[in-house]
Amino acid sequence: MIKHHPKFELLQSYVNGELPASLAIGISIHADMCPECQHSIAQLTEQVAEHSFEEAPVRLDDLKSDSFTSFSDDIAEDDLFESMISNITFNDDADVVTEALKREVVFRDKTYELPTALSRIELGKAANIGKLSRSRLQLNEDEIHSSLLHINPGGGVPAHTHKGFELTVLLDGSFTDSRGEYNKGDFILLDGTFTHNPVSQNGCLCYTVANDALHFTQGINKLLNPIGSFIY
Amino acid sequence: MVVEQTKLPTGVSHAKSNGMNENIDHTQLSEWLNQVADKRCKIAFTHLFKFFAPKIQRIARSKFPNEAQSHEVVQETMSNVWRKAHLFDANKGAATTWVYTVMRNVTFDLLRKVKSNREDNLSDDIWPIAEGAVTEDQAYEDHLESNQLLRVIDALPEAQQQVVKGFYLMEMSQEQLANHLNLPLGTIKSRLRLALAKLKVQLGEEND
Repeated sequence: MIKHHPKFELLQSYVNGELPASLAIGISIHADMCPECQHSIAQLTEQVAEHSFEEAPVRLDDLKSDSFTSFSDDIAEDDLFESMISNITFNDDADVVTEALKREVVFRDKTYELPTALSRIELGKAANIGKLSRSRLQLNEDEIHSSLLHINPGGGVPAHTHKGFELTVLLDGSFTDSRGEYNKGDFILLDGTFTHNPVSQNGCLCYTVANDALHFTQGINKLLNPIGSFIY
Repeated sequence: MVVEQTKLPTGVSHAKSNGMNENIDHTQLSEWLNQVADKRCKIAFTHLFKFFAPKIQRIARSKFPNEAQSHEVVQETMSNVWRKAHLFDANKGAATTWVYTVMRNVTFDLLRKVKSNREDNLSDDIWPIAEGAVTEDQAYEDHLESNQLLRVIDALPEAQQQVVKGFYLMEMSQEQLANHLNLPLGTIKSRLRLALAKLKVQLGEEND
């Protein structure tokens, strides 16, 4: 049962296409498993589409501003549009579509089917520390890092916090922290103020996005801080 | 406990919003789209173009700094409408919603290209235009990760690159390479060994 969902504002930005690819992918993965959010996304899309394509009322500002196109600009635009139409319709072919292939990934001898949103993204080789395995997804978004994180049964990430944000979408399995249990499909977005210590009894695979290295907060685990950037 | 969730259909229910705008003739737009899909009708497409293009242009102009890019959005979006019209399903939503999706996807990919210099066109995987379907020519171009491999090879020192490309891509023998490059066979062998060791490290640890 999915209990954690993206906030309304996040869904709105997703529909508008304004999020970085990594976050848009996280929402897409969640929505694939969550009929409730699918429904909200469909509604929001319909609304924003309706709004985008209604006739723009002519405002007084437009008439005064420099951006108001002159008569000759209009003619130039008409010509441009005419040539676009003939270019586009010159070829009668329609795109052939096929069933999306399912891409699989293996972590520690367990095979997982990846969500469609991840089907074409380059995946780095897995790096392992103890019960954790992590593969970077090559999205090239500077300080934002996206990965697949696999936790073997009984493993966990020591208590840590982030300077930035940390998104976890559970692709398979479950984990728990002090706030409770998280299951397949849950969308968990934490900001830098929250400290947690996720543990996975039966193992799990997560899609993670973070914009800064994690910072371990407890006792001996502080020694792990140099590898904080390893995990997320 | 691992709860196996049944895979739910990703069907988007057609939400009838109360805010349906009076000044958009949705039935007409759907009809034109269907004519484009079924009959490749250029007249219907021209109607669609005249309705959507100026609006797409105006929206794109607010997202991109230069005019050429906003024209690119118009051209790409309308060209996708022409080539993918058969993926539109009037039972699942309004024509405006479908065209908006196409436009948003084109815009997203172009913005990503401008900002991150990535031409990976991820949008159709993130916001599918038709459920469970991908356009054939976009499918898994780099399934075997050959682009990644080539990029790593290109990062090798020139001398090692020559040997790797000759041996693996042009399938020359080590002897042929020695002759071709006018080098002792031992040099070819050691360059190849060095290059492979580097590739191994690169492919394993790249981007960490």
